[in-house]
Amino acid sequence: MTLNTNLKNIFLVVFTTLILSACSTAKKSGDLDGDVYTGKETVKYLASGVPDRVFFATNKSSLTTASRATLRKQATFLRKNKKLNVTIEGHADERGTREYNLALGERRANAARDYLMTYGISGKRISVISYGKEKPVNPASSPLAWSQNRRSVTVKVN
Amino acid sequence: MTKSLIYSIIFHSVMILLTVLSLPFMIREPVDLPPIVSVELIQISDKTNIPFAPKARKIIEETKKKEEERVVSEQAPPAAKAKEKPDRIPLPDEDKEKKQIVKKKQNPEEIEPQIRQSSEFEKKEIVDTNQIAALIDKAKEEEAVKRDKVDKLTQSSVKNSFATGLTLSEEDALRAQIFGCWSVPLGLPYDEDLLVRIKLQLKKDGTIMKSEILDHQRMNKPGQKFYKVLAESALRAVRLCQPLKVPPTGYEKWKDIQLNFNPTEMLKG
Amino acid sequence: MKKILLALFAYFILSNSSYALIEVDITRGNLDPLPIAVSPLHVDTKSEQDDNIKVKELGNDISAIIEKNFRNTGLFNPLKKDAFVQKPDIAHLKPRFEDWRLIKAQALVTGKLLVKDGKLKVEFRLWDLTAAQEMTALAFTTTPSNWRRVAHIISDKIYERLTGEEGYFDTRIIYVSETGLKSERIKKLAIMDQDGANTKYLTLGNELVLTPRFNPTNQMVTYLSYFRNMPRVYLLDIETGVQEVVGNFPGMTFAPRFSPDGKKIIMSFAKDGNSDIYTMDLETRVVERITNHSSIDTSPSFSPDGKYIVFNSDRSGLQQIYVMRSDGSNVKRITFGKGIYGTPVWSPRGDLIAFTKVRKGRFFIGVMRVDGTGERLLTENFYQEAPSWSPNGRVLVFYRETKAGSKGEGFSASLWSIDITGYNERKLKTKTDASDPSWSSLLSK
Repeated sequence: MTLNTNLKNIFLVVFTTLILSACSTAKKSGDLDGDVYTGKETVKYLASGVPDRVFFATNKSSLTTASRATLRKQATFLRKNKKLNVTIEGHADERGTREYNLALGERRANAARDYLMTYGISGKRISVISYGKEKPVNPASSPLAWSQNRRSVTVKVN
Repeated sequence: MTKSLIYSIIFHSVMILLTVLSLPFMIREPVDLPPIVSVELIQISDKTNIPFAPKARKIIEETKKKEEERVVSEQAPPAAKAKEKPDRIPLPDEDKEKKQIVKKKQNPEEIEPQIRQSSEFEKKEIVDTNQIAALIDKAKEEEAVKRDKVDKLTQSSVKNSFATGLTLSEEDALRAQIFGCWSVPLGLPYDEDLLVRIKLQLKKDGTIMKSEILDHQRMNKPGQKFYKVLAESALRAVRLCQPLKVPPTGYEKWKDIQLNFNPTEMLKG
Repeated sequence: MKKILLALFAYFILSNSSYALIEVDITRGNLDPLPIAVSPLHVDTKSEQDDNIKVKELGNDISAIIEKNFRNTGLFNPLKKDAFVQKPDIAHLKPRFEDWRLIKAQALVTGKLLVKDGKLKVEFRLWDLTAAQEMTALAFTTTPSNWRRVAHIISDKIYERLTGEEGYFDTRIIYVSETGLKSERIKKLAIMDQDGANTKYLTLGNELVLTPRFNPTNQMVTYLSYFRNMPRVYLLDIETGVQEVVGNFPGMTFAPRFSPDGKKIIMSFAKDGNSDIYTMDLETRVVERITNHSSIDTSPSFSPDGKYIVFNSDRSGLQQIYVMRSDGSNVKRITFGKGIYGTPVWSPRGDLIAFTKVRKGRFFIGVMRVDGTGERLLTENFYQEAPSWSPNGRVLVFYRETKAGSKGEGFSASLWSIDITGYNERKLKTKTDASDPSWSSLLSK
């Protein structure tokens, strides 16, 4: 009987340690959702409260919920500033072949552009350019840096 | 009572069996088999197995790995439809061309709507059962080809040792000597079966009286540059090696000797 | 009956006493590089001075280049000169074969040169030392400033005589020179001899340039330039320096390459998030669309006969390699291995395709047969890609990038070469960091 309670205690200790360790790893990757960057470290602002960039998962160009929210803010901002034109720069991390990354960057920029257009921004006001892996915002070779580099950035042109 | 009877019967029958079996053996023993032959046979299996054993293991490991890879496919959930049915045919076929154009040249009107769908971006690797089957077949084929090669080589070595008038240790000594002299031309294509046969006439001390490349006319034919390079390297090897390590006796047996230079296995690494 | 038996008996005895021809299979040899002695070329005493070259040193300099070329192949082992036993001039006339054999050389290169009336005359001989005979001999006349090329051409001739395949020494490599911090690289087109000599810059570094490739005659280069912030494929005449944009596309064109006849450029054009493959005829300016698929189709490369195109596409969801006929029909996927595959390049021999593979976060350069079978991974690294073939299809050049620290420190890009056997991996010396190499064909052809 005492043996049984002892076992139970050990099991409980192990279980709580496991839960705690799971907590700590979750904290470490706090700026990542899957491998999409969710932090604010490299973000600039088109206007107060309007982030200029959205982030993507590895090899993907689909927009996350957070990205869509950001782009809706951009669309509102662009609707208010009717004379403003923008360029969307598409980027990829350094973990792909150069030529494919150019195409991927283009695809990401267009994903953002398409979303802005569905919110009533004329396609004529938005040009796109892809830099592939050529212009990393974070030059480090780490998963965090790569997630910050997988981005499309809306830049004012006039 | 019955127990001891059974024991006794078993014991006796075993004894009888032993004598029956051992008697003919006792009779046979004086008949002498040439011991050299048996020694040679053992060495052959040694000789032929050792170099290929690591290779065979490698093949097995490779196929094992392949199988593992096939089971655990990194590529995510199978999608509903396969857009491109992958074909294992080496290259697009002339005959099929027209049909294929109709089938494969994607119609812009058909594709256009898809581009706008955001789900397009979420595309996952499509796992097609046909494709997996093709993969398995491919692996089998490769294995078979590899096995074939090994078998062929084993056979040829066995055949060779029987045909030769040298004992295996004598032959090995010669092989080992030439091994050191032959700089294999490393630039040769590894996937071409090149074989150069040189016929030598030797003096008693192992120096070369005459060397002749069988089918030497091939050397100067256009498109046979690799053959020529290999033949020249083989000639360099025997010249560098001379006097060849030949047995002290039996000159008549080895005064004419043919060396077959085949670098294929080595170039494959 | 008795007679027949007797005859049989006699036959057995006779056949036993006359031995069958002994055959010995030689399937192993020594895989060390071939020991070769490259004697300095003898400088003719009648040679005149030249303003730009140290004529006296030329014999040594040429033989040094030949030696370096040979050593870099991994197939030859040039022996140290201090063990040489004969003076260059005498050796060139008639070597004492026994003496050269003593230093374990199997082949010997000798030569002499003469500079006169503004001309450089060079002749060389290749000797088989074991057979005690000449294998080949040639003489060249050129302008003295061309002396390095003469050394490369001699290397090519000897290489061809000893290996049975064409050499690759009289060639150039075009690449992207990189300077500056990782996040703000300055990139210029640069060209150099295969051995790293004669580096020249073709652009100034004002705009980003990527992926240069030679045309078959090595006079033109096609590449991607971000001139005026519009990424487009350009054409550059190396001799005249004239640049022009290729085609009139309403978006990014990239990943250009010449067709084997040099008449067309094949490239990708990206529009609305979709990249497809196009060709443009350089004479007629006719543009043809080759692929039409909602996926990314890029990195196209023609087969040497121009009949097929290999490219990478993510139509299956991940980057894989496909082959099609040059009109875009009959698309077939050829890679099915785990991981992603990119940058396929058809070998000049036509039998292999080189590629980049990414698996479990590691980058590989590999080769496979044109149907996708027989995959062989040659080298693994943190990051490497974009192989380009030597003209004889024996060596690949590619670029590698190192892992950077948190501030981008420790980052570098460099050119590497490797044999298709997977041996002989070497770093190429470049004046700056370098990427995107493209190997020319033989210049003297």
